[in-house]
Amino acid sequence: MTGEQKRTLALYYCQNVPASGEKERQDLEEKYRKSIRLFPLPCSGRLETVHLLLALEEFADMAYIITCPEGECRYSEGNKRAKKRVGRTRAIIAGIGLEEERIGIIIGSKDNQMSLSDYASIAMENALKLPSSPVHSRP
Amino acid sequence: MITGEQKPIDEIREMISPYKRILVLGCASCVAECAAGGEKEAAMLASTLRIAAKMRKENVLIKEKTLDRQCVRDFIISLDDIIGKYDVVLSLGCGAGVQAVAEIFPEVPIIPALNTGFLGETKDQGYWVESCLGCGDCMLYHFGGICPLARCSKQLLNGPCGGSMDGRCEIDPDVECAWHLIVDRLTKFGALDRLENIYPPKDWSRKQGKGPRKIVREDQ
Repeated sequence: MTGEQKRTLALYYCQNVPASGEKERQDLEEKYRKSIRLFPLPCSGRLETVHLLLALEEFADMAYIITCPEGECRYSEGNKRAKKRVGRTRAIIAGIGLEEERIGIIIGSKDNQMSLSDYASIAMENALKLPSSPVHSRP
Repeated sequence: MITGEQKPIDEIREMISPYKRILVLGCASCVAECAAGGEKEAAMLASTLRIAAKMRKENVLIKEKTLDRQCVRDFIISLDDIIGKYDVVLSLGCGAGVQAVAEIFPEVPIIPALNTGFLGETKDQGYWVESCLGCGDCMLYHFGGICPLARCSKQLLNGPCGGSMDGRCEIDPDVECAWHLIVDRLTKFGALDRLENIYPPKDWSRKQGKGPRKIVREDQ
């Protein structure tokens, strides 16, 4: 990643996503350094709109949530709630002129299960498609 | 519970635009229950306004605080130590809360961030329905606990209009026919004879038309 391409990603994820243990989290932090901030959640339903907003306000160019596949939530409807909160947060930031793509969600697939590392790569690729956030003045 | 909904963000930003130090003030009672003005919503609105300000390189201070009740003096006076730091208070309370804060701190502009709605109940997560008009002369006894004023689209006091289908209102099929519910309830309690009374037109003078209503209790 070049200096010009640098982005900061807030990555919230359900701890039931494959390969999302402590070791894998540490490996990801080692790989991405300050470009990624990881927030494990016992269930994506614990994600609140305010978490995503605060990430965008404080440090992140983009905030993502990774959920388990629909219908597979251990707590019944957590991933459905996460999806709705992502929708609400997108509407809020669009209302103040920020690109709604700065909030993202990846819903896991039952048929093609991927690891946390794979999801992080996808989220980071998407983050690089957007310019740096106008919220943060970075050199 | 008094319900409310947040005003459009553009309207809020327009109202606070002259000010540089803004306190977003939540209320942890009714408007928290209806997910419009509690601690979480105050944090969300404050964060949204800070993001908008940062995007436009505006130098503003925006903090949030939530009172247990914005309509009770004992809670409002806890702002005494901090309110002087702000040019304006952006209140997420209902209309009563906004005015109560304004009365106690007359030197500070208090701006409403919510549109106050109705007296209602929480039916489900994220679903609130009006159930009381606050008419000042409760008739729920006569109607088996179902208010025809709040829940019948035509506000009929002397029986159903005859237009309902399968227990749904002809005005809005999403609404249960209040009179269908009333008859069911009174039948269940063996009290259908209450409907033999003829109820005169509602006396609305106990709700409005005489200025703000008051309750005075000498024992309090």
